[in-house]
Amino acid sequence: MIELVLVAAGLTLIAIGVFYDFVGAVGLLRLPNFFTRLHAATAGAIGGAVVPMIGASLVALGAEYLGPPRFFLAGAAFASGLLLMILAQAGSHAIARAAYLSGEAPREPILYDALEKGGGE
Amino acid sequence: MDLEVLISSALTALIPAYVASFVLYAVRVVKGPTIPDRVLAVDSLGYDLAAFMVVLSILLRSPLMVVCGLALVLWVYAFDIYVAKYLEAREMGG
Amino acid sequence: MEVVPISIAAIAALLSIVATYLAVRSRDLLAAVVFSAVQSTAYALIYYVLMAPDIALVYIPVSVGILPAVTVMLVKKTERYEE
Repeated sequence: MIELVLVAAGLTLIAIGVFYDFVGAVGLLRLPNFFTRLHAATAGAIGGAVVPMIGASLVALGAEYLGPPRFFLAGAAFASGLLLMILAQAGSHAIARAAYLSGEAPREPILYDALEKGGGE
Repeated sequence: MDLEVLISSALTALIPAYVASFVLYAVRVVKGPTIPDRVLAVDSLGYDLAAFMVVLSILLRSPLMVVCGLALVLWVYAFDIYVAKYLEAREMGG
Repeated sequence: MEVVPISIAAIAALLSIVATYLAVRSRDLLAAVVFSAVQSTAYALIYYVLMAPDIALVYIPVSVGILPAVTVMLVKKTERYEE
């Protein structure tokens, strides 16, 4: 009975992750500017990769037909999700700071720039 | 045995959405006007590909193949940092 | 069950063809490095789907990690745009 609960929760999390993944891809394709695409990409990385990894670890705990190596799968998937939850923001912040400071990306549709007067560095 | 059929059919039904997302990320990589757009799209593509590898290792019934996802996450992050350091300081390793 | 890995490998192979063509034709060498990383990621997925995780585990650090690092260092020492 507990296996069915674990598998149902894990499959629900994987389905939510696929939805976030598709939304992130469409947003990355449709938004007009680099600094707005950053928002869609981070939503795709956190909601589309961390949530399915935790869901996959729950599914692997519930799937008894895989044998004893399923505990290895569950632990590795959970560790990957936890590591990605730290690394995705760090990478997005690094590339956004580099794009702002080097002037590589255009900031054309803009309302207000708080970093304009010496706040950036 | 019923649980096996449930997991396999549900994960097989989710695969086309993943592949469609990968194709959309690849379109942004191809047509991105500047370098940071392309690097951001490669970043998201790598992270979601790692999640897809974890899901596929359940579907293919081989649990020891899950380690590739962990390696892909770490090295895609390293690639991101390389390009960011090039753009910011024009100086590697310092 | 057998048709799913083969179709995923076929889509990844088509993506790697597009990425390789753009990497060869690109004038901006940093963009060529990014396209090369896309090709490496697609090949890693192909190795994974064809049930060779040990080769994928060696291919990912070499081709996603070390090759772009060396190439970005090389582009930094010389010029970014090709004539």
